[in-house]
Amino acid sequence: MPDVDVIVVGAGPAGSCAAIVLARAGKKVVLIERGPFPGSKNMYGGVVYPRILDQLIPEWWLEAPIQRWVTRRSTMIMTDTKALTIDFRSQAWGAPPYNGATAYRPDFDAWLADHAVAAGAELICSTTVTGLLHDANGHVSGVVTDRPDGELTASVVIACDGVNSFLAKQEGLYGEFDAANYTLGVKETLALPKDVIDERFGVRGTDGVDIEIIGCTGGVNGGGFIYTNLDTIAVGLVLKLPKLAAQKQRPEQLIARLKAHPAIAPLVEGGEIKEYSAHLIPEAGISMLPTLAGNGILLAGDAAALCLAAGIWLEGVNFAMASGMYAGQAAAEAIRSKDTSVAGLAGYQRRLEATFVLKDHRKLRRAPELVLSDRVQHLYPEFATSVAERMFRVDNPEPKPGVRKIVAQERKRVGIRRRDLAKDGLAGLRSFG
Amino acid sequence: MIESPWPEISFEDRIGTASFNVHHTAHIVVDGKVCADCSTRECIVACPANLFVPTSDGGILFNYEQCFECGTCYMVCNREGAITWNYPEGGYGVVFKRT
Amino acid sequence: MIGVCLKWVDRRPEPAGVGGGPDQPDERFAGVSAADQAALEWALRQRDLAGGEIVAVTVGPAAADAVLRDALAAGADRAVRVDRPFGAPSRTVADDLATVFAEATTVWCGDYSFDRGTGSVPAFVAAALGIGQALGLVAIDVDVAGIGALRRLDGGRRERLAITGRAVLSVEGGTALLRRAPLRGLLAKPVIDVVVPAQRIDAAHPADARPFRPRPRAFAPPAGSTALDRIRTLTAAGATVAHGETVTLDPPAAAERILSALREWGYI
Repeated sequence: MPDVDVIVVGAGPAGSCAAIVLARAGKKVVLIERGPFPGSKNMYGGVVYPRILDQLIPEWWLEAPIQRWVTRRSTMIMTDTKALTIDFRSQAWGAPPYNGATAYRPDFDAWLADHAVAAGAELICSTTVTGLLHDANGHVSGVVTDRPDGELTASVVIACDGVNSFLAKQEGLYGEFDAANYTLGVKETLALPKDVIDERFGVRGTDGVDIEIIGCTGGVNGGGFIYTNLDTIAVGLVLKLPKLAAQKQRPEQLIARLKAHPAIAPLVEGGEIKEYSAHLIPEAGISMLPTLAGNGILLAGDAAALCLAAGIWLEGVNFAMASGMYAGQAAAEAIRSKDTSVAGLAGYQRRLEATFVLKDHRKLRRAPELVLSDRVQHLYPEFATSVAERMFRVDNPEPKPGVRKIVAQERKRVGIRRRDLAKDGLAGLRSFG
Repeated sequence: MIESPWPEISFEDRIGTASFNVHHTAHIVVDGKVCADCSTRECIVACPANLFVPTSDGGILFNYEQCFECGTCYMVCNREGAITWNYPEGGYGVVFKRT
Repeated sequence: MIGVCLKWVDRRPEPAGVGGGPDQPDERFAGVSAADQAALEWALRQRDLAGGEIVAVTVGPAAADAVLRDALAAGADRAVRVDRPFGAPSRTVADDLATVFAEATTVWCGDYSFDRGTGSVPAFVAAALGIGQALGLVAIDVDVAGIGALRRLDGGRRERLAITGRAVLSVEGGTALLRRAPLRGLLAKPVIDVVVPAQRIDAAHPADARPFRPRPRAFAPPAGSTALDRIRTLTAAGATVAHGETVTLDPPAAAERILSALREWGYI
């Protein structure tokens, strides 16, 4: 008999949701976290969309440690001197049942893990899982930790051990490793008085802003973001690893460059750095997805590369929570039917395919590559902002040119081939349409 | 390029804003012999914690203490065996608060 | 009985409680100092060698149970928490500890905590128990027959001690690295005895609790005709520096002299 029913490795959003589901199903579950507390190793690009939590914690918004509710969502396209912003706001997002929220992950993840503990899961912190145990048939049968007498056996192991997931790699669930599938997220949390934040970002109370930026990362492909917490703001970049490594500016220098941009400087000026942080992101979408289940093992969250980086949609925590929840359900089901082989755990893949977790990824399979492509990164921002500049510039006594003429001229000037524009437009339509 | 309108803080002050519970043994080991004949040195520019420092004799000096445990270094490194990467012992390493 | 004192404090580097009494530690960042960890390790080594029961004790609110759970996981036999709000004065804490340690042969403490405590608790515990004290130990050798230790003295000197009777020992963090708790230890359900002291002190004594802030001292304007001279006078630059003073006085007068010096320097 194994020591416990399920071992969940990593008490992030995926792991805690898996543990909540399993503990509520009456399973004996141990949740192992390598940090001193859940969330202590976690960092993200700022917005969590907790809709999926409706299924686990009704009216979660009454108790979740939220900084601000995102009522204003902007996408900014910039060059070194220009910026074109699409700015949307909805007061509906500032009231129940809400949409997106900003939160500190050390708060949010710890809160979610508390729910797992309350449901009956055993949380073991400060313990790193260093490997997997296998039975005579080669099925995963437990984990090895870095503690003395550190082996623990279980019917199922759910690996929610993050973007570097050494467990998934040890089990051979990842294909050929490629650094191009990953981006580096770097971020500064800047302290500003709440009323200054409210004023600069045009919000009140606990309403918040999330700005996603393209064209702000110098020669490195990637993107930027700024979002508001209650009395801090966060500004950061997402940088494609091979491109970052192939040039000369360090990540913090690239952040400084963004902070100095005329469109950004007035927002961040005077903010005192409270925390500088960094984390990797699995950003290639469906093309890098590992095998999600093995005999006695499931992958969820970043460990399963379930992070959606599709330009206008940048989501991760919700994918982690949902995949963790479905992994928990599938594991409980497999244990009930006494078959924890890859066939017995097939309910996991089935659930992911039936919901947004894989449906969104399949629909947006072309998006990550398109968004991080050289044209979108380096040519289109110049093209879009120059078209806007020409449209809004008054050239009297010259008459106004037609939009079609401006577009044609600017396309030529920036050096975008008509064929490429059509191709990318079609790819965009297929993905986002 | 754009010049910053206000002085940036030193890297020591920057990294000092994050908390680290430093273990007495290194979780990442860099083999300087392998790095000695590496000319690209992706780690130096990419490591967000600036832990890789070139030395005057052409080697690489690596500090593990203020590591974000992100994995960038082993991913960008193209020298087999240069970086032995592990997580620190449970409970040690970086502790984020406001991320 | 081998006693171990563990203080539950906020381990974050920034000072807690600026401008007032100590803040309640943030549970996520709270723990014990390296010195307290070393104290527990020495207790474990002593027990492993000479036998006995290790009782780990903390004085604090329910959240402080975390440090006792860790101690039990690492191998302590019993855990007791004296229920008090965070930030009780040293004397009160020591009295609480002494009540639990009435039968203890050895009491191990760390010689400092993270929150810039005064380090006075071990001495108060020894006084309350009426037993010997050996504080600020930098090297320890536990043997079946007794404990050999090296104690730090002023001026870089060391005192070699052979400890045989009952004693309170405070150790520096570098003396031992606490063993890592086995996984089974963490999975075991911890049992923690909670003692509610009869006389409750709910608020910290303000004089005990505040962070150290030297009192401002009034200086006469420096003499000198030029700014440079005045700066020289003010900073005593170039002057021969006096390295303390040596006086021979009888004990009451010596105590008074020490107090007046501390007052002059702003410590009290």
